[in-house]
Amino acid sequence: MRETMRRRAQIATVLCLLAAGTTAAVGPAMAAPAERYLHVNVDDPTRGARVNVNVTLAMAEKILPAINNHDLHDGKVVIHNTEMNGVDVRALLDAVRTAPDNEFVTVKEKDSDVRVAKANGNIIVHVIDKKNKEQRVDVTVPLKVVDALLDTAKNDELDIVAALRALSNVGDVLLVTVQDSSQKVRVWVDSRNSQD
Amino acid sequence: MILLGKIVLGVAGVAVAGVLCSEGLVCVKVIEREPRGLHINVVAPAMLAPIAVHFARQRDLARAAREIQPYMPAIRATLDGLRDTDDVVFVEVKEPDEHVRVSKSGDAIVVDVDDVAETVHVSAPVRAISNTVEQLAAASSNPL
Repeated sequence: MRETMRRRAQIATVLCLLAAGTTAAVGPAMAAPAERYLHVNVDDPTRGARVNVNVTLAMAEKILPAINNHDLHDGKVVIHNTEMNGVDVRALLDAVRTAPDNEFVTVKEKDSDVRVAKANGNIIVHVIDKKNKEQRVDVTVPLKVVDALLDTAKNDELDIVAALRALSNVGDVLLVTVQDSSQKVRVWVDSRNSQD
Repeated sequence: MILLGKIVLGVAGVAVAGVLCSEGLVCVKVIEREPRGLHINVVAPAMLAPIAVHFARQRDLARAAREIQPYMPAIRATLDGLRDTDDVVFVEVKEPDEHVRVSKSGDAIVVDVDDVAETVHVSAPVRAISNTVEQLAAASSNPL
């Protein structure tokens, strides 16, 4: 009788250890998804200055709808036709997202080079401003983010909150780099809470 | 009897301190670098901050409350977001003669400024900031 009790106790102990081990192994995988951060880094080596900004996308998603100011309402920004010189931004973005991967615009001038393309689910814009200290601008916007900007917004609006939500699901991405002879600006999204 | 009194006093003191510090502490530290410069070092229970609002002049309080009203939705959303956020450095500016850092550490928002003229350190629990701002906003609805 005592032997049986001891064996049961041993089995129970082993089961408890197994359960604890499984929980420890699976727990982190089942935990809430990691926070996503929008990082902005401005580096000016000539002045020895550096600015780092790190904001969680979840926090930005919460704050934006609470700001109602000028053209920003409920997390959506109104695009005025007059500000865009008659260019219909929604129609333009809609045309790009439905087109196959391609190079849409290539302009080479004495003062600047511009290239707009769609590749691997991203819209890519490269601008080289030769007049302005050889300034280079690279913008990469995932198409899912473009979709989110347009899907739920009215005709003259872009849904910024939906875009932030989409951005948190697209993985690590370098969104913007601007570089000239003195400064470098980078904007990107990842799961790290620092820029180290 | 005296011993019992001391024990009761000690226990009551610890209890009061515990209650006062339950919302954390507000720390303010200012050190001016010039000779005879200002040296301020204040550590106060965060619970006192909303209470302190009641001691402000009603006229000033009402004006501040009116001015803060339009921003309250954004402030509430920000504080709400801050409460749920992990520890992070929100902004860091490094220049040759200045270093500014705004971060969240534990439950507190911490602001550090270090420049040629002075060093400033302020830290306050998010909950205390939230309670104080709500007290301030509520002041506009209170009769003067």
